[in-house]
Amino acid sequence: MSPVLSVKDLKVSFPSEAGRGDAVRGVTFDLEAGKTLGIVGESGSGKSVTSLAIMGLLDENARITGSIIYDGMELLGKSDKQLSAIRGNGMSMIFQDPLTSLTPVFTIGDQLVEALTVHRKMDKQESWNRSIELLEAVGIPNPERRMKAFPHEFSGGMRQRVVIAIAMANNPKLIIADEPTTALDVTIQAQVLDVAQKAQDETGAAMIMITHDMGVVARTADDVLVMYAGKPVEMAPAHELFHKTRMPYSIGLLGAIPRVDKKEKQPLIPIQGNPPLLIGLPDECPFADRCPIAIPECRASEPALLPVDTGTGGNHLAACIRKHEISDGGRIGNGTVYPIPEQLESELTLTPREERPVVLEVRNLTKTFPLLKGAFLKRKVGEVRAVKGVSFDVREGETMAIVGESGSGKTTTLLQIMDFEKQADGDIIIAGTSVNDIKSGKQERLLRRDIQIVFQDPMGALDPRMTVADIIAEPLQAIGTNRGDANRRVDELMDLVGLDPAHSDRFPQAFSGGQRQRIGIARALSTSPKLIALDEPVSALDVSIQAGVINLLDELKAKLGVSYLFVAHDLSVVRHIADRVAVMYKGDFVEHGDVDDVFDNPQHPYTKSLLSAIPVPDPDIERGRERIIFDPDNI
Amino acid sequence: MVKYLIRRFLGWLLMIVVATNLTYFLAWGYLDPRSNYVGRRPPLSEQQIVQQLLPRNLSDTVPLVERWWNWFTAIVTRWDWGVSPVGQVVNEQVAFRMWVSAELVLGATILTTVLGIALGVYTASRQYRLADRVGQATSIVTMNINIVVAALGIVLLAIALNNAVGKRIFYVTGSGSRGVEGFFPKLIDILQHLTLPTIALVLIGYSGIHFLQRSLLLDNIKADYVRTARAKGLTKQQAIRKHALRTSLIPVATQVAFTIPTVFTGAVLTETIFAWNGMGRYFIETISNNDIHGTVAIAAFGAFLTAIGALLSDIAVVVLDPRVRVS
Repeated sequence: MSPVLSVKDLKVSFPSEAGRGDAVRGVTFDLEAGKTLGIVGESGSGKSVTSLAIMGLLDENARITGSIIYDGMELLGKSDKQLSAIRGNGMSMIFQDPLTSLTPVFTIGDQLVEALTVHRKMDKQESWNRSIELLEAVGIPNPERRMKAFPHEFSGGMRQRVVIAIAMANNPKLIIADEPTTALDVTIQAQVLDVAQKAQDETGAAMIMITHDMGVVARTADDVLVMYAGKPVEMAPAHELFHKTRMPYSIGLLGAIPRVDKKEKQPLIPIQGNPPLLIGLPDECPFADRCPIAIPECRASEPALLPVDTGTGGNHLAACIRKHEISDGGRIGNGTVYPIPEQLESELTLTPREERPVVLEVRNLTKTFPLLKGAFLKRKVGEVRAVKGVSFDVREGETMAIVGESGSGKTTTLLQIMDFEKQADGDIIIAGTSVNDIKSGKQERLLRRDIQIVFQDPMGALDPRMTVADIIAEPLQAIGTNRGDANRRVDELMDLVGLDPAHSDRFPQAFSGGQRQRIGIARALSTSPKLIALDEPVSALDVSIQAGVINLLDELKAKLGVSYLFVAHDLSVVRHIADRVAVMYKGDFVEHGDVDDVFDNPQHPYTKSLLSAIPVPDPDIERGRERIIFDPDNI
Repeated sequence: MVKYLIRRFLGWLLMIVVATNLTYFLAWGYLDPRSNYVGRRPPLSEQQIVQQLLPRNLSDTVPLVERWWNWFTAIVTRWDWGVSPVGQVVNEQVAFRMWVSAELVLGATILTTVLGIALGVYTASRQYRLADRVGQATSIVTMNINIVVAALGIVLLAIALNNAVGKRIFYVTGSGSRGVEGFFPKLIDILQHLTLPTIALVLIGYSGIHFLQRSLLLDNIKADYVRTARAKGLTKQQAIRKHALRTSLIPVATQVAFTIPTVFTGAVLTETIFAWNGMGRYFIETISNNDIHGTVAIAAFGAFLTAIGALLSDIAVVVLDPRVRVS
């Protein structure tokens, strides 16, 4: 059978101020009908550019070479008009952000009808009926009524279903999904992946699934292509890739992800350093700088993607000159490719939890927002209960995690604690001081020393006009430390979080995302707090970087005995880092307890559905899993 | 929607009443009809002046409040906006000049808007290409041409054309010829008079809308939903025209709606050069002739047009943007 899509030596470059950036540097693959190819890689690896090049949606200043043969036709060199006859008809695309990918001023129905009528002559009634069928197929309730709704009346998950309906409208032969679930909550992600799967089954299309989430790949892909620095570095059937990994970068990617289904707490294996800039790359393995098993020959020339025999007879390609030395489980010779980091044991963990002092106690924390009506004189017509009386405590040297989906109230809870919000029928006690007793600004500042926060977005959280030393020293100055002591402390802290103290006079933009998050952590640590609140600290980071930050947090906890209050939506990270966990749903804790108890033996149906929705990066486990759908009406 | 518009309109009506009355008092603060008679040869006596002004409700011998009351009740009861110091009836003047201005300004505004938006779309979808650069350079030049220069240039060109052909194709003064009868002859006559001032107004006005539309559209061309539209199978130009344009039209529509009052009374120079007796010239004349009633009537007219502009922009936003719901 001839492939639906055949890409040969695809190269894409863009002009930039520093010279031409080679975003994609030679991608080759064939894709057959009904098959799914997963393309994985971190940001900047060229995976999205590859997909846009296939669709012909790149900017006109992009220089594309190579060959893209779709259904026997060469696509490169076709005009926008010629391509538009194929786009949406023979091949279609699902985009990353459903909130922005539908036109806000047209109804869902109009946008669906347009997708149909642009390619075939259909009368109004016929296209309208077909659109309703499509909406039904992607699981939108009341499709007749919803046809007349505008995108802003839909939730993110619903909008993504509409985008999928548009993608499958003309029974395409190829569907490209570019990070289709990255912007969605896990339970919605699972549903949307099911819908995408259904769209593929119904149309019999080939699919390219682009993602950075190894779990999503394990769940959906038949073949996997791992990209690094614009080039495929490993390509194999999914089972092969996950179990017989041969390229150090892929091994690193898999090792860096925390697993939601694994109990033992080994430190994650981070990949050192950052991906290279794609301008004027030297002729050497682009991963050599970060590779723990790099040898001088790696820098002789860039290794080609060549077959490797793993004993299964599968079609396995890897771009590494030492691929034949690497064996299953990421081992080389007598050791492993990546050195396993040492795990620090804190003395505190030897003391039973009950005997350790309480750092934070929250009793019946409540937050309501008033609903106001009226243009001028706002009168209260009701209230929204964002947090409905939650209670928990955090002991010394412990990590308490609050997990939940967007809108569950987890961040509100955190902010209430950080704001020292006085509670009418409850209390927040930080290191023995009740916030209800705070009378003066001085008392408040004193209490601030004991609790600090690290934010989600490392780019936005640091003032770009302050040097790193100023940023870290600022909390110290606020509590009256003198300049000399503060400077000594800055050096000490930078060393502690794994940054070079000599760089303390640089500005934040000189650092990468992971390094900036380390700066944020150093700033939070500067007053030696007893508790650090972490608001989604790793969700904006790539997996290989994320692992390093998670390890740092673990290490700091063991070294300093600091406690964490960790808010996150990623249950895999929570499982890895937390000692205790509370699952939040609609402002309330539905389940709260020891992390292993909650994850291995969930009691509440919501927790069960949440856990079953997380994709596990192992195709054998992932494909056999049963999803539990949580229906709030059935409790 | 209708209910909302009525409510808004009543609000504007109140605003117009307040603004007009305020202008009446301000006009009395700055304008003095008596000074029209200063320096007359032979000089008029005090009594003669008062005799002239008193019946026209313009004499300062009557207390201001009483003058205001006379003026106000005349409008409310008889829709009589008063007379000028020489006895011109304001109602007649406005009623006549309003249509002259409308003839001049409405066509020019529509052409300006259409041309500006079309050029904005054309150049935005060809950003940094030759067509965009040429379009932008031209607009920068026309934007900086003074209306006087533009109008006189056009007049000279038109005269040269008329001479070359040996026949009068374009009239360079006035808004119409006397003694033309019949629908088609009249229409042709109007077009012969209207073409030149319209070209002048469009020439200096279109660039503002061109630049606004271009930059707004460029913000939207990179939007994800335009990419989705292209992925559906629309060509880039179709996707821009259908999906990006609609959202970027909203601010342009608002701006155009609000320029209506300013172009109506602001085309002073154009009206003067082409000798059209429109509202713009009336505005200047009333002030220089100490014509209090005329000045106030123009202020009221401007306020009324502002209200119309605001309502039009409300309607345009609701029509163009379904996310806006009026309640």
